[in-house]
Amino acid sequence: MANSYERSAPNNTFRIWVAFGFVLLCISILILRLWYLQIVRGEFFRDRSENNRLRMIYIPPTRGIIYDRNGEVLVRNRPSFNVDLVIEDSPNPQQTVADLALIVGEDPGPLQERVLKDGKRRRFEPKLLMRDVSRDLVAKISAQRYRLPGIAINVVSTREYLYGEMSAHVLGYIREVSSEQLKSPAYSNYLMGDLVGQYGVEANLERYLRGERGSQAVIVNALGNRIGEAYLNPEKPGSNVMLTIDRKIQAVADQALTGLKGGVVVMDVRSGDILALASAPRYHPAIFTTEISKEAWSELIDPKANRLSNRILQGAFPPGSVFKIFVAAAALSEGVITPSEKIRCPGYLKFGKRAFRCHKHSGHGSVNLFEAIVQSCDVYFYTVGQRLGVDRIYRYAHDMFGFGEPTGITQGEESSGIIPSTAWKASYFKNPADKRWFPGETLPVAIGQGAVSTTPVQIARALAAVVNGGKIIRPRLVKKIVAGDGRMLEEASAEPEVVRTVDLEPAILEQLKAAMVGVVEDRRGTGHKAALPKEFHIMIGGKTGTAQVASRESGIKDEDHAWFAAYAPADKPQIVVAVILENGGHGGVAAAPVARKIFAAYFGVPEEIPAVPKIRKRAGRPAPSPAAIN
Amino acid sequence: MIAFDRRLLSHFDWTLFYLVLLISLCGLVVLYSAGYHPDSEVNLFGVASFEFASAACLKQAVYIIVGLVLMAIGMSIPTQLFYHYAFILYALSMLLLFGVAGFGVVVNGSRRWLDLGVANLQPAEFMKLGLILTMARRLSQSPPRDGKAYRLVELIVPTIVIALPMGLIMQQPDLGTALSLGTVGIAQILFMGVRPKALLTIVVTLLVLAYPAWHTLHEYQQRRIIVLVNPESDPQGSGYHITQSKIAVGSGELFGKGYGQGTQTQLEFLPEHTTDFVFSVLAEEWGFVGSVSVIALFLALVSVMLRIANRSRDLFSCLVVFGITAQFFANIVINIGMVVGLMPVVGIPLPLISYGGSALLSLMFGLGIVQGVSMRRSMFRSG
Repeated sequence: MANSYERSAPNNTFRIWVAFGFVLLCISILILRLWYLQIVRGEFFRDRSENNRLRMIYIPPTRGIIYDRNGEVLVRNRPSFNVDLVIEDSPNPQQTVADLALIVGEDPGPLQERVLKDGKRRRFEPKLLMRDVSRDLVAKISAQRYRLPGIAINVVSTREYLYGEMSAHVLGYIREVSSEQLKSPAYSNYLMGDLVGQYGVEANLERYLRGERGSQAVIVNALGNRIGEAYLNPEKPGSNVMLTIDRKIQAVADQALTGLKGGVVVMDVRSGDILALASAPRYHPAIFTTEISKEAWSELIDPKANRLSNRILQGAFPPGSVFKIFVAAAALSEGVITPSEKIRCPGYLKFGKRAFRCHKHSGHGSVNLFEAIVQSCDVYFYTVGQRLGVDRIYRYAHDMFGFGEPTGITQGEESSGIIPSTAWKASYFKNPADKRWFPGETLPVAIGQGAVSTTPVQIARALAAVVNGGKIIRPRLVKKIVAGDGRMLEEASAEPEVVRTVDLEPAILEQLKAAMVGVVEDRRGTGHKAALPKEFHIMIGGKTGTAQVASRESGIKDEDHAWFAAYAPADKPQIVVAVILENGGHGGVAAAPVARKIFAAYFGVPEEIPAVPKIRKRAGRPAPSPAAIN
Repeated sequence: MIAFDRRLLSHFDWTLFYLVLLISLCGLVVLYSAGYHPDSEVNLFGVASFEFASAACLKQAVYIIVGLVLMAIGMSIPTQLFYHYAFILYALSMLLLFGVAGFGVVVNGSRRWLDLGVANLQPAEFMKLGLILTMARRLSQSPPRDGKAYRLVELIVPTIVIALPMGLIMQQPDLGTALSLGTVGIAQILFMGVRPKALLTIVVTLLVLAYPAWHTLHEYQQRRIIVLVNPESDPQGSGYHITQSKIAVGSGELFGKGYGQGTQTQLEFLPEHTTDFVFSVLAEEWGFVGSVSVIALFLALVSVMLRIANRSRDLFSCLVVFGITAQFFANIVINIGMVVGLMPVVGIPLPLISYGGSALLSLMFGLGIVQGVSMRRSMFRSG
């Protein structure tokens, strides 16, 4: 073997030491690096690893339940499925969303937009893509989950309005907090995607109903799968609210308005409790927590139907002849007329060059106060109005009965209406020539026309004052609020909240009540259709109104607004009912039967018994024609 | 077949043996935690199945036993045989590498394996040994002519010997193995000595060539190299690996989170935590103390191997041991360097600890050769 294998090793010790030195150098660098990572920055990386595995998940609180006055549930929560995206867990969120859209058969555009809007969310927080999806869709999405990284289906509680559209305007609705709201400090506690009360009781009592968000730290693995819980900061459920609404009466009111435009409000004259508050056309409160289609949305905001408006609070209508009650109160109190004084009605009143007509063109003949109210004689009230002057009417209607100011039934959302006066006209018009009040303008005001506008809830409150001994009370919707743990947070006292007391002689109130009873119980009364059968011994007092309206743009005369405001029982009043039917025609014909249904329901009178069978048989009685002024 | 001389045992390096055993056991302990998966049924190579919580640990134990057998075989083969068959082994390995390039199986986007029907063969593992032996033979056959250090011309042949397999492995692509091959070859040349002038010329030439070479690359190729050097520029891919690894290592602090308590590992934030990133698991669960201890064991093993190289009987044996040591150590440094974010992310396992059969078996065989050199070191001197 003469090859080099036999070559003996030279002395390599020096080279080996050099190599060993190099080894030591490398090892030192590695150990220094480990020292730096584990000792110098150890705490930092410890935090990072905690953040890695712990994720805070917000637990939305369960919203409070809404009951009617008898403890019947009106609004509760039901479990529903939301589709969320955890962006961090999706390698390509836009692609994932596009795949999701394909699976559920939707347009990917809006969904992808949702992902882009970042808001206050962090990457690992689930971002809501679709709310309240059907079980079918849940099954479809679950089956394809391997294709949808980052997509999660979460069970959350969703508002359930047990009676659908019933009392929609009282309950209001909840909807996702808007980006404008998120900018305001009042919503600093909200995150994008949170639901917040936007209208009605849901909005007014938001701070009670909402509860407090909880949070949970969960341990997740690298795939974002939950594998355990670290700690929990439990959520506080929202407080439960008991309304003053009586579901049964509310149902009757809603039923009566089906297919109509208008509103019904029922108030307890002793406490101010609103027993029913219905406005039509209605909307379905639950629609706001779903994806609203374009058609549904244009239907919601259609200005003709004006579904989202609560006509009882927000609708300011000329009250028509209903207003005569309050003008009569002013006239009696001011002594411009006595109950027995008769005024002749030839069917019109000549004022200057103009003739102001009574709705009964043939005239009522000579009528006293009682007859004038019962038969709603316009000429009588023109005369009385002239004697009072507009500012005295204003003093009674506005300062005493509270027209022209919000009743305080809710915060915001309420119209004031208008009671004209010389001062009002002077401030309302800009042109100096328009600022002067002409005596002729007082005449329509005396019969609730002209510039007068009132909301139905104002009418109900003012009428309640007439029949409850003069107390102007704040109408209320909330009976009590009970916290999730059972603590009573707020409870309406048995005593009403009296805003002021009307300064009128008891005798005057008695005369007005007697006349109103005549309106319903007298056969010639304009509101006789509201009367209940005699055998039930429940007498009703009320006043009809037929308010003439002209559409603002065209000046063409629309169908009149039908009004009826009534109370019962006549001897010991419990409730008032105010009914407005927009363009409904004559108050006694259209609105009074609606009120009758309410009274029948309230007093337990079977509905099928016709109110006034005899009158219907009487032929030849001219249908009352609407008041004609101008 | 091979006559076994009892005298051989007298120079058996027990320290080497025990260190290998100790580090392997440490590896098993770490792998038990890294591969922990409750209620898993481990199928052992289709032969048997067990209820065991960590498949990686159990399989690795089997590999270690097989590895010890290979080690025994490696130390029994007389070093002359390696000398004689060095070129043949190199040529065969080259053939296999060509075969891989032509008919290899693609796994994870790289063509590294030959499907032999029964098992998959990774020719690069053969080439590791082939290159070490060939270089040792070539360098020991033609040492520097002046007896001190190589001149530039003398380096042409060894460079080609290194470059051929490197190029083939690099295009698989398996950058890590190619890099480790190159390192070993260069280490062997440097061990023999290179004139400073020649060394300077090489470095300057490489630097000058690098600039135009960079610009001939496609943009995507450039990006891959950038990511290699700076993983943070790719937060989804390698950047994610390295970030998670640094979090794992750093969060271990002084004493670690406790055995089996590494959140980065157990929650699978750490990728490939039984193979390339197994050291992160060790660092996370055992802290600075644990990782330095294992590094100290490695250092001890490397020292023992260098001592064997120093005491070896002939130049060839010395170069073989030095090559195997260089490879062993290079893998340690590249792997730990990668795990702590000092080195580019290349797929190099941590010797003796990372889970994986091929690398462990070839390493054990290599360690067997080292043991063999140790045992035969003074046969002719004393007898």
